[in-house]
Amino acid sequence: MLVIKDLHASVDGKEILKGINLTIHAGEVHAIMGPNGSGKSTLSNVIAGRDGYEITSGSVIYKGKDLLALSPEERAWEGVFLAFQYPVEIPGVNNTYLLKAGLNAKRKHFGEEELDAFDFMKMVKEKAKVVQLDPSFLSRSVNEGFSGGEKKRNEIFQMAVLEPSLAILDETDSGLDIDALRIVAGGVNTLRSKDNAIVMVTHYQRLLNYIEPDFVHVLAGGKVLKTGDKSLALELEDRGYDWLLTEEANAA
Amino acid sequence: MNVATQRQHAKTLFAQAGLPTKRNEHWKYTDVSHLSDMAQTQSTAQTIQTPTTTLGIQNLDAYVLVFNNGAFVEALSSLPQGVDITSVASLLAEENHKLTDLFTLSGEEPLFNGFLALNAANAADGAAICIKANTKLDKPLYIKHISNQNITLRHGIYFEAFAEAEIIEHYLGVDDNAGLSNVSTNFILGTGAQCKHYRLQQEGSKQSHIGRVEVKQYQDSNYQMHAVELGGALTRADIVVNLAEQGASCSLNGLYVLAGRQHVDHHTRIDHTAPHCTSHENYRTVLDGRSHGVFNGKVVVHEGAIKTDSAQSNGNLLLSKHAQIDTKPELEIYNDDVKCAHGATVGQLDDKQLFYLRSRGISEESAQELLTFAFADAVLASMRNEVVRRYVEQAAFAKLPHGEELEELLA
Ligand SMILES: Nc1ncnc2c1ncn2[C@@H]1O[C@H](COP(=O)(O)OP(=O)(O)OP(=O)(O)O)[C@@H](O)[C@H]1O
Ligand SMILES: [Mg+2]
Repeated sequence: MLVIKDLHASVDGKEILKGINLTIHAGEVHAIMGPNGSGKSTLSNVIAGRDGYEITSGSVIYKGKDLLALSPEERAWEGVFLAFQYPVEIPGVNNTYLLKAGLNAKRKHFGEEELDAFDFMKMVKEKAKVVQLDPSFLSRSVNEGFSGGEKKRNEIFQMAVLEPSLAILDETDSGLDIDALRIVAGGVNTLRSKDNAIVMVTHYQRLLNYIEPDFVHVLAGGKVLKTGDKSLALELEDRGYDWLLTEEANAA
Repeated sequence: MNVATQRQHAKTLFAQAGLPTKRNEHWKYTDVSHLSDMAQTQSTAQTIQTPTTTLGIQNLDAYVLVFNNGAFVEALSSLPQGVDITSVASLLAEENHKLTDLFTLSGEEPLFNGFLALNAANAADGAAICIKANTKLDKPLYIKHISNQNITLRHGIYFEAFAEAEIIEHYLGVDDNAGLSNVSTNFILGTGAQCKHYRLQQEGSKQSHIGRVEVKQYQDSNYQMHAVELGGALTRADIVVNLAEQGASCSLNGLYVLAGRQHVDHHTRIDHTAPHCTSHENYRTVLDGRSHGVFNGKVVVHEGAIKTDSAQSNGNLLLSKHAQIDTKPELEIYNDDVKCAHGATVGQLDDKQLFYLRSRGISEESAQELLTFAFADAVLASMRNEVVRRYVEQAAFAKLPHGEELEELLA
């Protein structure tokens, strides 16, 4: 589904991603861990199409297409979704209609008819229930005045409505209480299927108890240092990142 | 002094004052030198033949007063009970009319701002309205002005004690003729009176508009204004509110949506002359092309006006690098026991918000329009009259390619 080869990206001339290689197949769940500032959010943003990153070399192929040539909205229409580490507040823009407009734009792109307003509302209410999002949030401005945890839950709600094929969750588990974590994990597990792939950026093994990853990658200094199965996450929880960084230094 | 003498006096004043120039601090961003001839030319009213019912806000359940090129058209107007409405022209024709107050010029401003004197000297018509004590008007009063030439109007609207009404003042150009509207509206709000005032400026693209709103508020009265600037080539509006007795409150809301070379300048002045008064001001401007917005918000808290509560906020969104805003709060406070806050922002569309919307499948163009719309919504949302609000939304954003789709996206 997604093949990233030797991806280098810089911001203002400073190289942040220094040769990322990553292959993700449909049906898989990948966890990306790594120290602060290692480039996890940068990678997520580059995949979602955020401006301001210069791709100096490498490629990202998604469902056989050159992802980097697509605009952020085209990527969304093709099924890419990013749950933001820091969801932005957008006063004045309605949370529900945003999703309706997004879905309709996608349908238009594929030459399909617009959603029926009634069916859409019914679907939205069901999805809100799945992530136990209070219905009052549906009529509020996007993220405005939401608590940290509510914002994260709203991201998962949006994901549930948009039904992406590739969902990247950038630290969606940070700042969630135990109950919320369970709910969010439930939402993610509902999306999990043989046709979809999920990438979870996280600092905590805790989330992985609820959503079992097929692969765990360690990103450090803009590179994938190590890839393993879920036991790697347990090992990291135990030992931290230092031993890996030392291993890398010795190998070099 | 009778009205005739007053108007003669105004002529003399104008001869001395002339039009304001950019050397005057209050006019430094707005050049009106090219308006001099038009300002002094009285056009003979040419009645516009377009049926006025098809113009302006549709589906509005309201009492309507129509002014066609500056002249009141009684036949097209529907007048409410419990309210005295007379055209200024017909009052002026009478021997002993009660218009003396309406034509009085006072203070220093007429000495340098010749538009005031010109208005008093030349206004041929207007609406003299008195809403009787304890009358609550069941429908808004819609004052519809259609014009395509020079017009001078002077309205006086008196709210007796505990009267309540909604006044919609609409200036609508019908073509692209050049002309100048010099219009002035005076409000007096008696004890406990409540006035909601919408002032919509949609003049033709070559029309200039010099407007004035003066409000005097007595005890516990409330005045809420929404001024929307959409049309015209050059607009200057002076909004002057005197909170003259305790417990009076006002809120002034403004929205400019400008493009091309449009120029809009609002100078607001709120005088807190009595204790325990509240004023709120919220202005937003959306400036595209080479348009130029000016906002000057002056608040004067006088010596005895303790427990004053005053807040002012002004947000400006520049959609083009050639658009320009000059914004300035001016606070003069002459006692210690007050709460005053003010803030102004100038910015472009937010990259993070744009990206967020696009990542959810909204196209770039729609996302830009949506954020623009949402920005203006901070003022639009406070318009309680939904028909007026919809009308403004459509008028302001119909030019955007996705205007209609976007409407439902507003929170
Ligand atoms: N727009 C930017 N301008 C300058 N530096 C940036 C920018 N974006 C990212 N960086 C830098 O790139 C590095 C990687 O940042 P990134 O946000 O990708 O880290 P992260 O792995 O997500 O960290 P965390 O775990 O703290 O979320 C950091 O050093 C950061 O300061
Ligand atoms: Mg991050």
